[in-house]
Amino acid sequence: MKKIALYLVLLAGAVVSVAPYLMTLNSAFKQPAQVLTTPAWDPALPVTLENIAQVWTEYDMAHFLMNSLIYAGLVTLGQVVFSTMAAYAFGRMSFPGRDVLFWGYLATMMVPQIVTLVPLFLIMREFGLIDSYLGLILPTAFGTPYGIFLVRQYFRTIPKDVELAARIDGAGTWTVLTRVVLPLSRPILATLATITFITTWNTLLWPLIITNSDATRVVTLGISALKGQYSSQYHLILAAAALALLPLIAIFLLFQRHIVRSIALTGLK
Amino acid sequence: MRRLRDTAEAYALLAPSLFGFLLFLVAPIFGVAALSLFDWNLMGAPSFVGLDNYRELSADPEVWRAVLNTVYYVLLNIPAQTVLALLLALALNRRIRGGKVFRVAFVLPWMAMPVALGIIWSWVFDPRYGAVNQVLGMVGIDGPNWLTDPAWAMPVIASVNVWQYTGYTMLILLAGLQAIPHQLHEAAMIDGTSPAQRFFRVTLPLLRPSLSFVLVTNTIGSFQVFDTVFVMTQGGPGGATDVLNFHIYQQGFQLFRTGFASALAMVLFGLILLVTAAQLVYFRKRTVYDFS
Repeated sequence: MKKIALYLVLLAGAVVSVAPYLMTLNSAFKQPAQVLTTPAWDPALPVTLENIAQVWTEYDMAHFLMNSLIYAGLVTLGQVVFSTMAAYAFGRMSFPGRDVLFWGYLATMMVPQIVTLVPLFLIMREFGLIDSYLGLILPTAFGTPYGIFLVRQYFRTIPKDVELAARIDGAGTWTVLTRVVLPLSRPILATLATITFITTWNTLLWPLIITNSDATRVVTLGISALKGQYSSQYHLILAAAALALLPLIAIFLLFQRHIVRSIALTGLK
Repeated sequence: MRRLRDTAEAYALLAPSLFGFLLFLVAPIFGVAALSLFDWNLMGAPSFVGLDNYRELSADPEVWRAVLNTVYYVLLNIPAQTVLALLLALALNRRIRGGKVFRVAFVLPWMAMPVALGIIWSWVFDPRYGAVNQVLGMVGIDGPNWLTDPAWAMPVIASVNVWQYTGYTMLILLAGLQAIPHQLHEAAMIDGTSPAQRFFRVTLPLLRPSLSFVLVTNTIGSFQVFDTVFVMTQGGPGGATDVLNFHIYQQGFQLFRTGFASALAMVLFGLILLVTAAQLVYFRKRTVYDFS
């Protein structure tokens, strides 16, 4: 009896967690008229690509998705490369100023994003980078304190002997990092890349401020504008929302093992 | 000589990150503090006004409303999401079949795009076409106009965040539960304690590190709600969901009151620091157990 109750609670939680995704995907493939006339849980029969096609071409979702891919892709690349380098210095080398700097990095993790926004906008204006890809990408492309912290913690669990052996063979720091440490760190790098990509893909606030033309607008802005314009044309805005969510679902299913483990570990430190 | 070379190498590895850190994080933090002392609409020269912006905002009823709205949002969010997460974590902590599948399902909301969720929630809570009022209609209840009703708009927005972060919080608490040595529960059982006693006297105190972590980080995140408000209500109806982050955005980037918005940002930062410090002090006072 108790076991059945337990399963019922868990099942209810799982259904609630998945339902919004399923209803959205379902509605995105329904006939436009059906979206308003049938309940959200009625299956999309017959399936139609009409809504998807309309937002893809007429409302330029393809272009917004591409901009998001460029934005999230380049930020992820920068985050993985530069956070790894900094994490190695912080985690495996000793140098004057290390601890002060590291605490400085950690302290900024508490600062709300909105605090830096106005000055960041002014800096970009000074550089003439308003409404450019570079302006969009630069603030997060050099790695974030969170990324550095995550990788540093992992590096510190790798036994020193592994590095020592390579050092004795005459390998320099860069060789040790790229040939010895990185191959052992694939899980954490995959985690960092996944989390960074998802976070950047989902970001609204910075793109909202730094871009002002469709040329550089990303998908978060594209779908909010669509919502403002066609607030009750649910067949269109749900199709657009589905397109924005699909890449996330794909990435999540691919890397869910890493994600689940890394979230579980964040609380244990 | 070797030390010098090591230091040079370390700073070479740090250089890109340090460049970004100083230019895009540290400089703006000092910049915003300085800007909060100026009156400036982005054109012409900024004029120094001392603490005028702070004086003005402390007398501004809209600012007070935004502070209260933000606190209300946090209070709607954090208790609900933490209690739900704890219940699910306790359920999953019993070794049951399918635990892995449940875990993946529960974390699925965490990655969703808040902007897309705002759109989906607007649809689900649509008074006429939404699933919620359709279900309520089946049992004979005439559902409210959720997002245009000043009393309901904020709870609906908060429900997005509860949905998104309950599973994430659960996962962290579950890891904390699994780190508790089971001998302690067995010992308590031999002493003839009830399940409720074991939960409040053994489980909860030992879960404190994980619990304080999720409370502190989720609270910091909740104070910064923006995306869902932006998509679902734009602060409305009648300012009922005008939270601090949204108010700062409007003042700074729609009305171009750069100095005033900077002062508001400092207030939000101060508020978060205060609440975080209070939480840390509260948890620090309680005994810390260490089994390592």
